[in-house]
Amino acid sequence: MARGDSKTRFADVVMPHLDDAYSLARWVTGNRADAEDVVQEACLRAYRGIGGFAGRNGRAWLLAIVRNAAYDWLRKNRSPAVVNVDDLEAVERMRLADDAAGTGDNPEAALIARADEAKLQAAIARLPAVFRETLALRDMQGLDYKEIAAITGVPIGTVMSRLARARRRLIEMLGADR
Amino acid sequence: MTENDRLLLNAYIDGELDPAHALEFEQRLAEDNTLAEEHRRIEALRNTLRERLPRETASPALRRRVAALARPRPFAINWRAGWAAMAASTAAAFAAGSIAAFVALGPPGREPIPELLVASHMRALMASQTVDVASSDRHTVKPWFNGKLPQSPRVVDLAAQGFPLVGGRIDVIGLTPVPTLVYRARLHVISLTALPRSDRASMPHQPIDGYNLVEWTDGELVYWAVSDLAAPELENFAKAFRAGNPEPEQAR
Repeated sequence: MARGDSKTRFADVVMPHLDDAYSLARWVTGNRADAEDVVQEACLRAYRGIGGFAGRNGRAWLLAIVRNAAYDWLRKNRSPAVVNVDDLEAVERMRLADDAAGTGDNPEAALIARADEAKLQAAIARLPAVFRETLALRDMQGLDYKEIAAITGVPIGTVMSRLARARRRLIEMLGADR
Repeated sequence: MTENDRLLLNAYIDGELDPAHALEFEQRLAEDNTLAEEHRRIEALRNTLRERLPRETASPALRRRVAALARPRPFAINWRAGWAAMAASTAAAFAAGSIAAFVALGPPGREPIPELLVASHMRALMASQTVDVASSDRHTVKPWFNGKLPQSPRVVDLAAQGFPLVGGRIDVIGLTPVPTLVYRARLHVISLTALPRSDRASMPHQPIDGYNLVEWTDGELVYWAVSDLAAPELENFAKAFRAGNPEPEQAR
């Protein structure tokens, strides 16, 4: 039975990775209720497309679908500026190269270590979506660069620079004495 | 610091450099103060993210909805409204206090309790562990519930009968947090959930998605055992549990 097969495949391939799917959607969309919408939609797409999934890495496959659903959602519900980061890249690259002169006793590290959850959430929410996504996949979900590149569909070099810039921005926001 | 140095630093922290490059980079870190300072800031950031942010996990409700996608019957798309209603009634239940929350169990129109119990059991099997408190000692498990729920279940030691205690967790069934004990039978896991008694008579249950259910009433609580264990064995477990000696009620 085709129906029975896809049902079983769906349970085997998708269900074990639901927490990862939700976590990614939550960080990309920025809130939990929208993340549930996105995961529901992504899982529907996954269910319809399960026949075409032949690979072994169910998690990467599902997360790629989740991220597409999340960006569709962002495009529909947020201004384009939040989504599109290409024009930022050149400016960012220049900033990255000359920030962060050594400050001796490193008060920033101490401030960062003291940041509470609310402050962290607020800082992450201010990152562009592709930065949040890369940070979430790496620092919240522990994927390696290669997996992140496969899921987000960009070269490893782009993963590296997005991650470096996401972290740099968070350090700037959290390390600023207010 | 050049952009390239920054990428290398991040890759080094993430364990993405091969050993030769990692060694080379460590030597540079030892000599370059600017690099070392940034290294400390990134490490501080990663620790803070790890320690302060909650782990984001799919709610049982979302899990059920997604599982329902693969069911060969049409499902209601309009679940966002249901979610809002659920959030509101959860808040109301908490506001009204735990006794009222018990009464609020299973309002009409919600998923039937057996499905909810099987969903919780499946959820637990998929998590990294099936319990929130892991202990084979009933004197550890029972007090753990006492601190969290208005009513804690009997905890019976059934190791001698072949059902060692694994621990306990809290499930949310029909918006009510309820205690679940986890036992093992060989390689099978048994979830035993205690629900407040309802006026409905206990009855035999058909398996749901391959999981057997056994239900019985004991005083003010209804106990439900869920497992992929064969039905007669699950009945044996239920019999052993009912016959087992609970610990004396603890003074609180």
